[in-house]
Amino acid sequence: LASIFSGMDPATNSKSNHCLDAAKACNLNDNCKRLRSAYISTCSREISATELCNRRKCHKALRQFFDRVPSEYTYRLLFCSCKDQACAERRRQTIVPNCSYEDKEKPNCLDLRNLCRTDHLCRSRLADFHTNCQVSFQSLTSCPEDNYQACLGSYAGMIGFDMTPNYIDASIVSITVSPWCSCRGSGNMEEECERFLRDFTENPCLRNAIQAFGNGTDVNLSPKN
Amino acid sequence: NRMKRARARLKPCALKELEVSVSELGLGYESDEIVLFRYCSGTCETAVRNYDLSLKNMRIKKKIKKEKVRARPCCRPLSYDDDVSFLDTYNRYYTVNELSAKECGCV
Repeated sequence: LASIFSGMDPATNSKSNHCLDAAKACNLNDNCKRLRSAYISTCSREISATELCNRRKCHKALRQFFDRVPSEYTYRLLFCSCKDQACAERRRQTIVPNCSYEDKEKPNCLDLRNLCRTDHLCRSRLADFHTNCQVSFQSLTSCPEDNYQACLGSYAGMIGFDMTPNYIDASIVSITVSPWCSCRGSGNMEEECERFLRDFTENPCLRNAIQAFGNGTDVNLSPKN
Repeated sequence: NRMKRARARLKPCALKELEVSVSELGLGYESDEIVLFRYCSGTCETAVRNYDLSLKNMRIKKKIKKEKVRARPCCRPLSYDDDVSFLDTYNRYYTVNELSAKECGCV
């Protein structure tokens, strides 16, 4: 089935940019446009020469966007498929990463996890992610019960919390997502840290779910609910 | 055809919309992002007040000569739409306010 869909691809205009189309769809819907503008203006408003933005307010506006706008708009922005760098950079920029994602220092991932666990919502969203995007060897898609939607939903559910994930670069050949952390300075917990980080960076279930959404092939695999 | 055009010109003041790219707005931003531009269009024939009639007569009678006055109502936005944000071609975000009309009226 996937080959039938991928066979349709070359027919589409080489200049087509699915991430730009997703922005258009959002701009033409009053609710999506309003909440997108709300987080973009909050996340790109400079406070002072030293403070790029108010991260706390930015995260809150992002959470409201993903909570209150239907996933048909939000997923399209977040998981659009790309054939060129401009598109992939637009996809990476979706969450205004220089405010919501990047930081001066990269904390240790286990420290970041501990911080996330002090907030009951962050804690439960992270647990959802681990459950719904857990690599399964019994399924065709590598996702539990071949449910792509559940995995994508739990990924999006972490945006605006301390564990906010994002695309690490604007690469079109490989899609890699990660929270803003590293496993440096893990001491004897190095292995656990790497295992935790790999759930984001090297997760075939998550990667397949994102790619399938972008190609429009997910509809046939996810169970109807 | 002329009748059609004449009738179109006589449409009462109302909100209309266009899908345009941010670049096309001519505000100096470069972005291919498409936004909804809502504007006010139409006539205000039915909204002429005694004010307008009197003002017109004062001008005819040369009681008002040099001043710039407007003796007929204008179809203009009564309020403006929410802010619009977009990413430009250099990957910078911008937010513009009062870009689109929200409600139109003869003022």
